[in-house]
Amino acid sequence: MNRQEFLMLASTAKEKKDTFKHTICVCSGTGCASAGSEDVLQMMKADIRSRGLEMEVSVIPTGCTGLCTQGPLVQYMPANTIYQKVRVSEVQKINEAQLVSHQPIKAMLLFGDTRPEPFVNATDDPFFKKQLKIVLKDCGEMDPEDIEDYFAHDGYKALDKALFLMTPEDVIAEIKHSRLRGRGGAGYPTGLKWESVYKHVNDQKYVICNGDEGDPGAFMDRSILEGNPHRVLEGMAIAAYAIGANKGYAYIRGEYPLAIKRIELAIRQARRSGLLGTGILGTDFSFDVEVRIGAGAFVCGEETALIASIEGKRATPTARPPYPSEAGLWGKPTLINNVETLATIVPIIINGGGWYSEIGTPKSAGTKVFALAGKINHSGLIEVAMGTTLREIIYEIGGGIPGGKAFKAAQTGGPSGGCIPAEHLDVKIDYEALMNLGSIMGSGGLIVMDEDSDMVDVARFFMEFCMDESCGKCVPCRVGTKMMHDMLDKICKGNATQADLDRLVELAAYVQDTSLCGLGSSAPNPFMSTLRYFKKEYESKLHATSAIQAAHGND
Amino acid sequence: MATIDIQIDDRHLKATPGATILDICRDNGIDIPTMCHLEGLSDVGACRLCLVEIEGVRKLQSSCTTKATPDMVIQTQTDRLKNYRRITTELFFAERNHFCAVCVANGNCELQDLGYKVGMDHVRYPYLSADCDLDATHPQMVMDHNRCILCTRCVRVCAEVEGAHNWDVMNRGFNARIISGFNTPWGESTDCTSCGKCMHACPTGAIWPKSATMGKLEKNPAMIGELVKKRRMDR
Repeated sequence: MNRQEFLMLASTAKEKKDTFKHTICVCSGTGCASAGSEDVLQMMKADIRSRGLEMEVSVIPTGCTGLCTQGPLVQYMPANTIYQKVRVSEVQKINEAQLVSHQPIKAMLLFGDTRPEPFVNATDDPFFKKQLKIVLKDCGEMDPEDIEDYFAHDGYKALDKALFLMTPEDVIAEIKHSRLRGRGGAGYPTGLKWESVYKHVNDQKYVICNGDEGDPGAFMDRSILEGNPHRVLEGMAIAAYAIGANKGYAYIRGEYPLAIKRIELAIRQARRSGLLGTGILGTDFSFDVEVRIGAGAFVCGEETALIASIEGKRATPTARPPYPSEAGLWGKPTLINNVETLATIVPIIINGGGWYSEIGTPKSAGTKVFALAGKINHSGLIEVAMGTTLREIIYEIGGGIPGGKAFKAAQTGGPSGGCIPAEHLDVKIDYEALMNLGSIMGSGGLIVMDEDSDMVDVARFFMEFCMDESCGKCVPCRVGTKMMHDMLDKICKGNATQADLDRLVELAAYVQDTSLCGLGSSAPNPFMSTLRYFKKEYESKLHATSAIQAAHGND
Repeated sequence: MATIDIQIDDRHLKATPGATILDICRDNGIDIPTMCHLEGLSDVGACRLCLVEIEGVRKLQSSCTTKATPDMVIQTQTDRLKNYRRITTELFFAERNHFCAVCVANGNCELQDLGYKVGMDHVRYPYLSADCDLDATHPQMVMDHNRCILCTRCVRVCAEVEGAHNWDVMNRGFNARIISGFNTPWGESTDCTSCGKCMHACPTGAIWPKSATMGKLEKNPAMIGELVKKRRMDR
């Protein structure tokens, strides 16, 4: 397909979409699907047909709308009216209300059971109002299995712009200008990463999409891949054009069957449309993507381990330098970006780096997707501008803590991150602010804990995770995490003394400083941050031990 | 040949471009302990004993995998590094079952030497005593996983020098184990050529010949490096 044909196809897709007066979006993300959304979708289609409205109303499955606990969700566009926990038996009734009588059924609307006055236009609801959706913009309003629907949402226009109006240098300059930082967790400036791969001259380079999201409680990348796989592919293609790669790998964890199915489908559709393959849009730029499925090891999120896994080797990290930008996959210069980072490329190319850099805080531009989970009323997927406070996220978007309990801490960054206590609820979230508090941005898991949570137990949980997921290559991580876990377990069980805690602190610094890769060097973080803010909880468990020992006279 | 200037422990040194920090240190009599490094094999940076501080680099770097670059300023013997080397040594001893008095390698063991070198008079951490097997199915040699420190020198010598790739690593973390021939008993492995290089490369008493009696084991790990050098010269 050449450029002319592509533009024609895109405008046809748009016109076709515009012929519909209503679009009914039935969320088909993993959360809603497990609540039965597939049956709702089929019933919805049948009901629309029986009303003879199939020329006016289109019914589509979409990606995640964000409120996973309220599923299945059904959204009427363009009115933006969302119904929650929709059952097959309720479909007719809702359609009657929305399409015939135009009297929305308040009790069945989103938060109809908890808010006295639920919002007919969901965008007015605080859950959505405080959010800024850039990455997730089309996620809940587009059929992720239909490339034409993506065309109708200006799909592949950014690739078109990059190929025909920009040089690779322009693309890199635009990304640098946007101040986008890697969304996988470390926050390395994306533009600089692209530039360093660009500068390594080689006739074979690779682009890898890191979709091995492994933090407990995190599902940002899964939702993006499920909701808008073409956006990720388009981002990969633009990256490949910029750095001079012709081959890409999408590395997706095996626990995400729907994401794998959809990205594979998207790749086939893009190939058929000539948007992947040789001579894309009639240019001499060629790029193709293959999917690689992870086998369940957390360490594969580490880029050198991920590369080893793609090469078919045991997934163990290797020492850097050399960095993948110099010698990555099969020794060739390789760009590895996280799913969310790649999904951010398209709007930056369309709207310009300047537009993106104005969103957020001075050091962290743009938005961040978080998976909100734990002791919170509105669990789900949210996207906020950098600089939004934790309080806004938890109390306005998240709707507060169930049972009116007190907030104790928010855990960010998963097993590599830390806890943020109540006194820092007003922190404006960005990379530096979280780092200063002893936590990290991480990939976007945000777990809320209430007054009942035992912070030492939290530290033990994450240490157990790191111990189980350590690859076993280097000594500090293999033995150190096991040792630290056993010590934390001893504290939890009330068998530890101050001397044990001192040894644990010493070991934490050792594991952090000497581990080979990020898994080990960040493994002590949950312990260190809980000790920093909740030292009394640790000490109370130690004191108990001393008392027992004193009573037995064997101290 | 062109050289580069670097500084190690306040000494100004000339080095060959492309040489690792560990090579340069050894050439200049600077002692850095290692376990997973063996002359002639690829380096993996796994034991973390050879970590050094490099000015301007936030993280400690393994000197066996890091190449020297011009004007690098390196510290190899700071108190922090010495402390960490001792902790690493203690973790080696605490992980499995290293009781020198009853070991075939007693007196000829790199792990034992390391303990003396870093001044480990006792282990401050609880013994984990991982549950490991002993494989005596091979006619000439024994693999005692209790004494294995997972340095993977056997894995690499078998794959890189002998070309048989009998050994590999299975499972992960604390449960990681060296395996023979896709996890078959060593004696049944069709990959093993019984060349014995793994036995010589092994730094502890984990792999030993059945002919050796307690404390009488003789190993020659330097043979591996010599062998690799001779092969290169033949080419």
